[in-house]
Amino acid sequence: MAPHVREGIAPSELVSEVVNTPIRKRVTDLDHAGGDTGAMQVFASLRDANVVLDGPVGCHVMPAVAVINYTDAVPYLQNVTCSELSETEVTLSGTLGALKEKVAAASREGRQVFIVSTPVSELIGATWTTEHAHEPNSALFFDSHSLDDDEWKSRDRALLFLWQNRNHFSPPGGSAPAAPRARPSVNIIGPTYGNFNSYSDLAEIKRLVAGIGADVNLVYPFEAHPYDTVRLSDADASIVMYAEYGRSLAREVGKPVFTAPIGLEPTTAFLRELGSALGLEAPAEAFIRLEKKTTLAAWHDIWRSTHSDFFANAPVAIVAPPTYRDGLAYYLGEELGLPIAFAAYRTGPEATPSEQVRAVLRDLSPSPMIVFGSINERMIIAQEKLPSLFLQCSFPGAVVRRATGTPFVGYAGAVWLLQCVCEALFDVLFANLPTSALPPERAAVATRDLMRDAPEATAASGKGQNSVMAWTDDAKALTELTLKRVPFFVRVSVNKKLRSEAEKLARTRGGTVDATIVREVTARYSPNR
Amino acid sequence: MCPAFGAVRNLLRMEDAMPIVISSGDGCLYGHTFVAHFYVANRPIYSPGVSSEIWAKGSAFDELRAMVCDMAERHQPALIPICSLCVSDTVGLPFDLLPKQIGNTEIVYVPLPAYSVHTHARAKDIVVDSLVWRLPPQRKARAGVNLLGEIFPSDPIKIDDVLRRIGTHVNTTVPGPRWADYVAMVDGALNAPLHPFYSESVKRMKMKQGLPFIEGAPVGIDGTYRWIRAVGEALALDPRTVEAVARDEQDRVRLAMADHPLGGLTFMVAGYEGHEFLLVRLLIEAGAQVPFLSTAVNTNPLAREEEAWLKAHGCTVLYGANFEDEIRALTDRPYDCVIGTTPLCAHAKELGIPSIYYTNAIATRSMMLADGAGDVLGLVSQTVRSKGRYDRIARFFADDETKLERTYTSWAPQIDLTAQLIAHHAL
Repeated sequence: MAPHVREGIAPSELVSEVVNTPIRKRVTDLDHAGGDTGAMQVFASLRDANVVLDGPVGCHVMPAVAVINYTDAVPYLQNVTCSELSETEVTLSGTLGALKEKVAAASREGRQVFIVSTPVSELIGATWTTEHAHEPNSALFFDSHSLDDDEWKSRDRALLFLWQNRNHFSPPGGSAPAAPRARPSVNIIGPTYGNFNSYSDLAEIKRLVAGIGADVNLVYPFEAHPYDTVRLSDADASIVMYAEYGRSLAREVGKPVFTAPIGLEPTTAFLRELGSALGLEAPAEAFIRLEKKTTLAAWHDIWRSTHSDFFANAPVAIVAPPTYRDGLAYYLGEELGLPIAFAAYRTGPEATPSEQVRAVLRDLSPSPMIVFGSINERMIIAQEKLPSLFLQCSFPGAVVRRATGTPFVGYAGAVWLLQCVCEALFDVLFANLPTSALPPERAAVATRDLMRDAPEATAASGKGQNSVMAWTDDAKALTELTLKRVPFFVRVSVNKKLRSEAEKLARTRGGTVDATIVREVTARYSPNR
Repeated sequence: MCPAFGAVRNLLRMEDAMPIVISSGDGCLYGHTFVAHFYVANRPIYSPGVSSEIWAKGSAFDELRAMVCDMAERHQPALIPICSLCVSDTVGLPFDLLPKQIGNTEIVYVPLPAYSVHTHARAKDIVVDSLVWRLPPQRKARAGVNLLGEIFPSDPIKIDDVLRRIGTHVNTTVPGPRWADYVAMVDGALNAPLHPFYSESVKRMKMKQGLPFIEGAPVGIDGTYRWIRAVGEALALDPRTVEAVARDEQDRVRLAMADHPLGGLTFMVAGYEGHEFLLVRLLIEAGAQVPFLSTAVNTNPLAREEEAWLKAHGCTVLYGANFEDEIRALTDRPYDCVIGTTPLCAHAKELGIPSIYYTNAIATRSMMLADGAGDVLGLVSQTVRSKGRYDRIARFFADDETKLERTYTSWAPQIDLTAQLIAHHAL
């Protein structure tokens, strides 16, 4: 048996024993989509834009019907179609003929069409070259590098592509001169479809911007038409929602660039710096003071309560894309003081492969009390029988995050995350308290019978029959090992449960508590809630 | 929290008991049920309905008796403790008229008028006292040590290890999860109250059982040595073996404590459980200053020795703690850490002082022997180290921010795709 396999669980029950067997090419539980998906999610987010994926039907229904339904709770993306490539196009004719038909259909009512390459179209070198290419509002072809780029990089490139083509888009009826604004304004760049929790984050950033007295120039691409792209330069500053994409666009737009903040201090600093960039120093200070009495009153109350006493003993693990990984690690670790047992990037050059995440989570002792992650980590918790609680902080994994009350960014995000952590504490506590609706077992004997015969027992063993049970050394060692895995603040409950059940077993077998008994009891212990 | 809860929680934790709580009304029962389900166990609390009509009609006792008989006959638990809270105890139901046994079930009245119980500790003392009083007199053939105290569940096993090396063992621990744990007390040869608040139980045990008692607990450098020696002397064990084991355990505690030096730090400790005496001992031995210990426990003979030790080490014990005094004392000197009640900690946090709620963080830990000392001091030193965090938050909410330590992007991921974009001719 490998040394890391936990006592009481047969190796065959542990997935890590199987999937960690090295094979040549290991891509287990891939956690990001390809470039075509990322580009589609950007273009489809624009108003009055249609996307035509140049690929076979699977390249369409997988991202735009199946997955989107569980990431964004959108039944399907109505503005996305597909060239539905068949054998003829792939082997003989190329994709142009099939595309033309779809582009014509998609361009109805003056919609801007974006053609996005897919792995197959890239493989056969398909592009989109027509005599209309330079006409305003004609269909644009975007090479999504779908074979090589991931969804995040592709989003960044697609946003930049829109900016580079900003003069290609013109509004119906020609452009009207922009009305002068009374107040300073900002662009909010991002989110796009398929971005975990972005609806709430966006709502919070809008709230903060309004709070310091600024206007939103554009929420791009979600609340913009393609022809609005050129108006990005009307703003006084740009806020990039997520570090994963949008910065290249923001930099090209040329206004001061801000990033959506996670945590109390970062939010305060964000409001001050944004305020000063917009000439709104005084309203920003006033807003911060007001927030302390309103939104953050909840935060201060929880911090001063006993809830926060547990934080130092509630280790967490985080596996997420960079913004959330770094943001959570900073906020939970630095500001709240939860030990960060493990933090890994889900994407980018520093991404940690899934099997490595599995190995770390399996071997951490104590197990993290909360694992922030995707369905991959949720599966690991279940498969490796970890006592950790799961909270979703990234895709993949079906989840509904459309109500806007669950932000991670801003002051409201700080409150929401604090509340999540506290509720997780209660959940862990509940799972470890003795739970029974049944009355106790019927007493087999009366008190006087509990005492009868005891003198003889005392004489024989040196102990009374109701004395403390003897534990063998390996039973004690195994108990220590088991307890160390459990989040600290429920250790007393788990210890009580373990001792009581082990001694009950030993009593029925008329002996001491040995390792076999402890193993039996720990195997029965279920972290499932 | 209602002082009576100290008793209710211990009885609810008993696996073979079905406690009946005669509440003083729905507000009272709701509170006890709420905290019990959060802290103790997810199991029902049985209670006879009460209302002014029931008290006025005088039918309460008949209903209680019917409920007790019904429960005993139907479920036959080992024990039905009757927790009588403020109203029923003021009304004065004739609890003596309840049957003492029904079948194999013991029925024990536990008087808990909160207005005279005052502290959790006292309520726990009452439970032990009420249950032990039910036991027959001590046996003639006896061996081992009865531990009295709410300790970490694996503590008795560790203490048992030590005691075996000097030629005795742990006989039983109360409060325990089974009625049999209490019954087993009659087999023990020595009672060791590990917290100084079991004074009433001890008084009556002395009367009834005539057993020797030792004070203190195997906590800290001095305490561990002294306690093992005291067991040896009380049971007339081989002095050389006892001395060797006591020294050995003392060295192990010293070694464990060396990892968490607290020199130069000042603590405020306020407790209401009784084992705050032991905590302060550990803190002082680790090098901390503890100018005073504020405890809700009242003066009692069992605490005399502990108090003398604390006094000799610069710590005054203030009995019958007063919350207002504690709050005022917070600003008397620069405290590095506060360990106390919920409201005291809330005040301390507002001042930016790292603080820990006694019950949740300390009372659930082992303090005994080397492992316990290392564990508790580890938590304390970890808390003290987070001073900066407490301070920053306090300043923020007091509108007294000094310069922020971080810019808003200092945490953020640094992703720069420029190189890749250039490679793709996108820039």
